[in-house]
Amino acid sequence: MNERELDLQLIQRIQNGEQQAFALLVRKYQTRVANILTRYVRSSGDIPDVSQEVFIKVYKSLPNFRGDSAFYTWLFRITVNTAKNYLTSQSRRPPASDIDAEEADSYDGSGALKDEDNPESILHSQEVKQVILKVIGGLPDELKSAITLRELEGMSYDEIAQIENCPIGTVRSRIFRAREAIDKQLKPLLEN
Amino acid sequence: MKEYSQDLSSLIDNEFDDQEIIETVLGDVELQQQFSRYQLIGDVLREETDGLDLRIDVTDSVMAAIAGEALDDNVIPLATPEKQDNTVVPFMKRFGQYAIAASVAGVVVVSSLIVNQDDATDPSSTPVLSTVPFGGAAAPVSLQATPAQTENDIKERNERLEALMKDHQLQLQTKP
Repeated sequence: MNERELDLQLIQRIQNGEQQAFALLVRKYQTRVANILTRYVRSSGDIPDVSQEVFIKVYKSLPNFRGDSAFYTWLFRITVNTAKNYLTSQSRRPPASDIDAEEADSYDGSGALKDEDNPESILHSQEVKQVILKVIGGLPDELKSAITLRELEGMSYDEIAQIENCPIGTVRSRIFRAREAIDKQLKPLLEN
Repeated sequence: MKEYSQDLSSLIDNEFDDQEIIETVLGDVELQQQFSRYQLIGDVLREETDGLDLRIDVTDSVMAAIAGEALDDNVIPLATPEKQDNTVVPFMKRFGQYAIAASVAGVVVVSSLIVNQDDATDPSSTPVLSTVPFGGAAAPVSLQATPAQTENDIKERNERLEALMKDHQLQLQTKP
């Protein structure tokens, strides 16, 4: 199953009235949506509201989603349009340089219209990052390698198994154990 | 919980084909929150969260906003990968016809070569190419030649041919 197939399955469930499946799509994509919005929305305080608006629009437009393109590409367009409408409503001009769906994944947002005046949020974000990196740093080499190859290199389990010279089941288990170790430290941090 | 956590991890990586995990996650809020955190780990490692307030989760507010809001009934069907009509069969059919024709021609050529080879061993026998048709005797080709067939024979043959042609056309028309 690839990413597109999973998204299509969730969308099919939503279209069949299983509204809860939409929560999973929101959980999956909200960070990426927020990341795109930082390109347009100056105040980080407005990003949750605009994000919410994006997902409500997406939900309402789902009956028109044909599945010709990837769900993320479609979501990306709605996000950019919503952000531009937001800027218009705020009587601001959209940024001169646009980004497209292909760039969006690798777009780091540096130099964009970000609100750098929220030290608390920056501190928290840095703390989360530090915790994740610290846990990964302390992991046994085989777990560290597995999670890095998966998350940073985007390799499939099969590819990692070939590199690590081990069965796919072992890769599956190593990635899970790495995530489990990180999650143990991350959970209290996010709940607080 | 733990066994589902591993499945959840595989689901995040799109490496899981079993529908059961999707069903389980959709019915379990704790697993959904875990899904969010697993997703966040990847987002942070890929540096997609820089400048974002990671404490904010809009899932609940979005779900509250759309609660009870049914989707439009006129849903456009999703473009799922469809099984294409099998175009190989007609191609193979046609190809098969050519193959049969070629095989028959090949057999004729080979057999005539073998016959001629046998004849070639005997220097007295000559014709390199046998002009006698397989059917037996050949009718002389001449304008003055007496027609071997009567008019009735020709008429009958034409009618049979016509019937065959009609039958063939009918078969073509009724073919799906």
